[in-house]
Amino acid sequence: MQDDYVIKTEDLSKTYGWFIWKKKIPSLDKLNIAIPRGSIFGFLGPNGAGKTTTIRLLMDLIKPSEGCATVLGMPPDDVKTKHKIGFLPDAPAFSPYLSAYEFLNICAKLLKIPSSERKKRINEVLETVKMSEHVKSKLGGFSRGMIQRIGIAQAILNKPELLILDEPLVGLDPHGRLELMEIVRDQKKRGTNVFFCSHILADVERMCDRIGILYKGKMLCIGTLSELLSEKGTRLSIKPGHDNMAKELMVEALSCNKLPDGSWELVFPENNAILEKIRNTKEALAGAITVSASKESLEDFFFRKIEIAKKEKSS
Amino acid sequence: MNEIMAIAEGTWRRILRMRVVYFLILCVLILIASAYNYDVLSMQEHKPLMIDVSLVLNTIAVILVVISMTFEIPKELREGVASTLLTKPLGRTQYLIGKVVGTIITGLIISAMIAVGFFVIFKFAFNEQIALAMLQSHILVMASIIPMSAIAVFFSVFMPEMITPIITAIAIWFSYSTEKLIGVKFLYGGILPDLGLYNFKAFAVYGGEQMSWSYIGLAILWGIIFSIFLVTVSSLIFRFRDIK
Ligand SMILES: Nc1ncnc2c1ncn2[C@@H]1O[C@H](COP(=O)(O)OP(=O)(O)OP(=O)(O)O)[C@@H](O)[C@H]1O
Ligand SMILES: [Mg+2]
Repeated sequence: MQDDYVIKTEDLSKTYGWFIWKKKIPSLDKLNIAIPRGSIFGFLGPNGAGKTTTIRLLMDLIKPSEGCATVLGMPPDDVKTKHKIGFLPDAPAFSPYLSAYEFLNICAKLLKIPSSERKKRINEVLETVKMSEHVKSKLGGFSRGMIQRIGIAQAILNKPELLILDEPLVGLDPHGRLELMEIVRDQKKRGTNVFFCSHILADVERMCDRIGILYKGKMLCIGTLSELLSEKGTRLSIKPGHDNMAKELMVEALSCNKLPDGSWELVFPENNAILEKIRNTKEALAGAITVSASKESLEDFFFRKIEIAKKEKSS
Repeated sequence: MNEIMAIAEGTWRRILRMRVVYFLILCVLILIASAYNYDVLSMQEHKPLMIDVSLVLNTIAVILVVISMTFEIPKELREGVASTLLTKPLGRTQYLIGKVVGTIITGLIISAMIAVGFFVIFKFAFNEQIALAMLQSHILVMASIIPMSAIAVFFSVFMPEMITPIITAIAIWFSYSTEKLIGVKFLYGGILPDLGLYNFKAFAVYGGEQMSWSYIGLAILWGIIFSIFLVTVSSLIFRFRDIK
């Protein structure tokens, strides 16, 4: 069944515990999301918001207390759909006594990758996550970041149609972060849908085209980045070697940054007088200045939304 | 089927990779061999003694393999090792069956090593033909792994890590004493498995020539049916369980 949405939930709720040990407050409260095909979705929210809970519900590791979800058009407990899903848990743990190759081989068997292709495919993914030299090492001796890399390797082993990553950047070194972004971008090129949560907003902003913010089990907002991050003022980039002009304009700027290459970035509020001044300068110094609409950063947006939600809760 | 074998493979590899397993097997064989020296103390009964010791130790080895699984499975579930596998195209029931099969294979391999070691020692010590009854008794010990693995998996799916091994050990002990519990009709009525079915020590030691192969076949069949029943119940429970 072809569905327009990769992930869709209806009033999905989860209250941990059982019977008299049931928690009073639901960890996830009537979540309704619909993620269309072809998107990289960033799932944000403070600690304990319920992101991991949502992902585990989608992967059928835990059962909802209420509501339902579909993943690739099928209920989460459908075993066949799992062939098309890659999943990285928030704290990956693997049998410590298996070597990286043996572990991936078991995964490949479960994914029904034909035995003739298994070896090639495993070496391929190990190359992608830069772990080729550790093929034969036991997983028990791996560091946090190495485990994370193996986790990513097993998630992309089956060339999934949907990739669900729970905090994929945790434990990775700076190179690892870049490599992961490269992998995600690569997957998108192949047409993979990616659903991931992360606390590193700058990376989320760079990778995602859609985000959702979860707060205390409830969805605060969801949409494409361009919809959500409102236009806010004018951004001015000044090429290197025009320091005087930059200093002159700096007085009225909201923010001012000198970049390492000597260029400047200034952000101005929407104000006609300033805009006029900029336009005049631009004419005088054609080529040295580029003007663009400045957008709120995801970080500012995130803090603003959470702040509003906190105030609403307390009042 | 392939999925089940993949899970089973992970299980037996783990145990057969531990060097301590081979050390323990060696200890068991030394203990069996040392029974030979009790000729005076046991008034020339050292041959039956050796057969008896070999069967007892083989049974204990099998029970230890099964108990080790009750540490293993809850740990896998708690640490999230199982969740990585369960998010692959692998049904929860298949995972459980894989665990049972893995335990059975591990137990069979270890038990077979002990039995073969014993036969070699026996032949060397007494230079006698190995009696069929002895072989059959060892085969029954190996067969007892089938229902015991199912018991281990059953308790592992819903009990916390600390309690599972204890409860499993108690359940196995009870199952070996169903004969003595025969007065308690309710228990004997089939709720507890009857592991006494697999216990032919006395027969092997005191002059039994041979037992009927059909008995052995039926005992194995009963073990398989009991396991299927228990794994079905386990999977019903497991299906609704939250996994980390
Ligand atoms: N196994 C569990 N038993 C009981 N409560 C739980 C369990 N797992 C999570 N919770 C509760 O559910 C809520 C949401 O947790 P969740 O792990 O989904 O948060 P998260 O958004 O992933 O947070 P983080 O950013 O820290 O990973 C928390 O309040 C947590 O206490
Ligand atoms: Mg989390």
